[in-house]
Amino acid sequence: MSAATVLIEICSVHGRVLARERITLTPDTHTFTIGRSAQADVTVDDAYVAAIHASVEITPEGKLLVSDLGSINGIVLSGKRYRGARDLELANGDMLKIGHTRLRVRTAHETLAPEKPDQIEPASIARNPAFIAIVAGLACVAQLAYNEWLGAPRDLAAEIVGTLITAMLAASAWVAFWALLSRVTQWEWRPLRHAAILLGVAAVFIALDGLLQLAWFAFSLPQWSVRGVVVGAIAFGCALYLHLSYASNMSARSAALVACIVPALLAGTGLWVLERRQMRDVNNIVTSLRIYPPALRLRSTAPVEAFFRDAAELRTGADAKRAAMPEEDEAGEIKDDDT
Amino acid sequence: MAWPIVCYAQAPVAVPDQPVKAATSDSASSILSRVRPAVIQIKGFFGSNAAHAFHGTGFAVAPEGVFMTNYHVVAEKVLYPDKYRLEYRTADGKTGRVTVVAIDARHDLAVVRAVGHAPEPLKLEPKVPAMGSRAYSVGFPLDVGLTITEGVSNGRVEDSFDPRIHYSGAINGGMSGGPALGAAGEVIGVNVSGYIFSQLVAFLVPAEHAQALLELALKRKPVPGGLRKDVLAQLRGHAADLLGALDGTMPTQTNAGYALPARLAPFIDCKAAGDPAPDQPVQIVRIHCTAKAGLYVQQGLYGGNLFYSHYLVSTSKLDAWRFARKLTDRTAASGARGSRRHVGPFACEDRIVGLKGFDAGVLVCVRSYRKLEGLYDFTVRVSSLNGSKRGFASHLDMYGLEFEPGMRFIRRYVEAMEWKP
Repeated sequence: MSAATVLIEICSVHGRVLARERITLTPDTHTFTIGRSAQADVTVDDAYVAAIHASVEITPEGKLLVSDLGSINGIVLSGKRYRGARDLELANGDMLKIGHTRLRVRTAHETLAPEKPDQIEPASIARNPAFIAIVAGLACVAQLAYNEWLGAPRDLAAEIVGTLITAMLAASAWVAFWALLSRVTQWEWRPLRHAAILLGVAAVFIALDGLLQLAWFAFSLPQWSVRGVVVGAIAFGCALYLHLSYASNMSARSAALVACIVPALLAGTGLWVLERRQMRDVNNIVTSLRIYPPALRLRSTAPVEAFFRDAAELRTGADAKRAAMPEEDEAGEIKDDDT
Repeated sequence: MAWPIVCYAQAPVAVPDQPVKAATSDSASSILSRVRPAVIQIKGFFGSNAAHAFHGTGFAVAPEGVFMTNYHVVAEKVLYPDKYRLEYRTADGKTGRVTVVAIDARHDLAVVRAVGHAPEPLKLEPKVPAMGSRAYSVGFPLDVGLTITEGVSNGRVEDSFDPRIHYSGAINGGMSGGPALGAAGEVIGVNVSGYIFSQLVAFLVPAEHAQALLELALKRKPVPGGLRKDVLAQLRGHAADLLGALDGTMPTQTNAGYALPARLAPFIDCKAAGDPAPDQPVQIVRIHCTAKAGLYVQQGLYGGNLFYSHYLVSTSKLDAWRFARKLTDRTAASGARGSRRHVGPFACEDRIVGLKGFDAGVLVCVRSYRKLEGLYDFTVRVSSLNGSKRGFASHLDMYGLEFEPGMRFIRRYVEAMEWKP
């Protein structure tokens, strides 16, 4: 057996490499030791590691066999702790935990993933996070300002500034959260990328919501009272998927799953809470009709007969809502007066 | 709208610095001494409490302890018979139990029986006295003892849905159900209500209705739970009469090109106002109409009434987009008053529909009463969609009506609207 080079990587809890140590093994010495002592071949600063804690042997076939050398804490492999174990085989890329230290042992026999093609052309400004963040941010500002302008003539400038400051504070907190997560898991802050995700999704979905409202007005469609919740949930799901893709070690499939489940749960919970509140507030009326200039009306309306035919069903709806009210509401106000 | 006078127990009572001479004549003291034995204070108690929850007045109308009072004095006992008890107290301090025999919620009257107290009854005079006649009102205002006030009967109230006599004299909280007497000491009506922030504008239920209820009460035998059913039946009758009175061709008035429901009946009071400042970006003319028909059911609950408002919005300064937003804001449905204790949540239907000559957004919401089965509240919003510089938002709110007649009225109300450029 010829001399072989072994690379020992000390990793963070998220698998990020914190330090590397290269060892060259001679044909006679195909085993190296790990411990806290200077006499160990790989020395780690970890109070939970014994002086000579474990040994790793590289067989002529390239297998990695790890043995505990009588430590108190043993070794942890694939989430399982072994004390006094001999010749446990390490698979390609396995993370070995000794004390609180995570190590990965790499040899010439390891199987490497093929090189990823670099799909992002550095010259393509359209995919540059900074560019996307700026364009989408301007789009958001324009839409928020337009919305305030519609309510004019109040104090327009103050209204716009107030709205923008509130929106910026919220967006900053959101981006800071994801940047922090990226820093922890990916060792990079990536603030521009997260800002681009947030602002891009917000710009698209604010516009989409406005277009839906406009379409309902233009085509005389029945109002959809949960439109805001549904559009919001989809927007949140899209943003969550993209944030997770850049700020976690999740696979695309797992991120997609989380991005579907979490918004669905939140939307469901939100609708449930809304429904409960509406059941308690007997004066609440949900109305969603937004009026636009008459030139945008594109379709003739339904006859009034059809509307009142449907409205006749309101009795059933009202009776059902009354029946669903909790009985304890019967305790009412106190009559206390001269009549 | 006049309300049964409510004066909360904790409200401070103003005490004048100098003694005020009573504004009564010698005949007042003579009438008071005559009716004094026949008038009782009726107190309501919650549970077994010794302190009363509310109180009013009653007066003897038949032998064997039969008294007349207002329905709103005994309403809680009628609707929650197990929660409240009624007691009487005479001017001399004698006390005893009171039971409700019959009610007339439509005219706010009730016949009760005082156990162990049967004074000489007062005589009811069904004929309404001439306008300007001397009149007196007797009762126990603010729990300060038997009191008489002197005033003038101003005859029947014009344009009132429910029959009332206009009494120009003081009626304060606690006098409800007491007798109002003519110059000869005959009972011309029953104290019922007044305008809280007005001076000496009060109302009496004409004695003819007290006479009718008394005759009914003396004839019928009590049925368990019957009074509550009576309340519901009378509310339904009132609601049917109200919408019946509004039947027929719906009169409209054209404003800014839109023909909208106008004053629909004499008992509906309409007021119109606008902002005269010419430099406003949006001009709004508000027409508000109220049917003076509300019926007291119980505390915080009035049934059988309707209100409608038209907001005519126009602009010469705003573009079509901003004007549309202003009209949207004006259409927002709010202000539907109601308590969880009485009604359920709203169920709504909204759509863009074609009316006469223009498209409109129409929202209809309905909620049902919890204990008064078969009665509903309605809230309607109609907004014009055809104008970029002018438009309207119309609000219609109806309380305590039956569903089918209510929806028929709403349809007539909506279909009466027309664009007349």
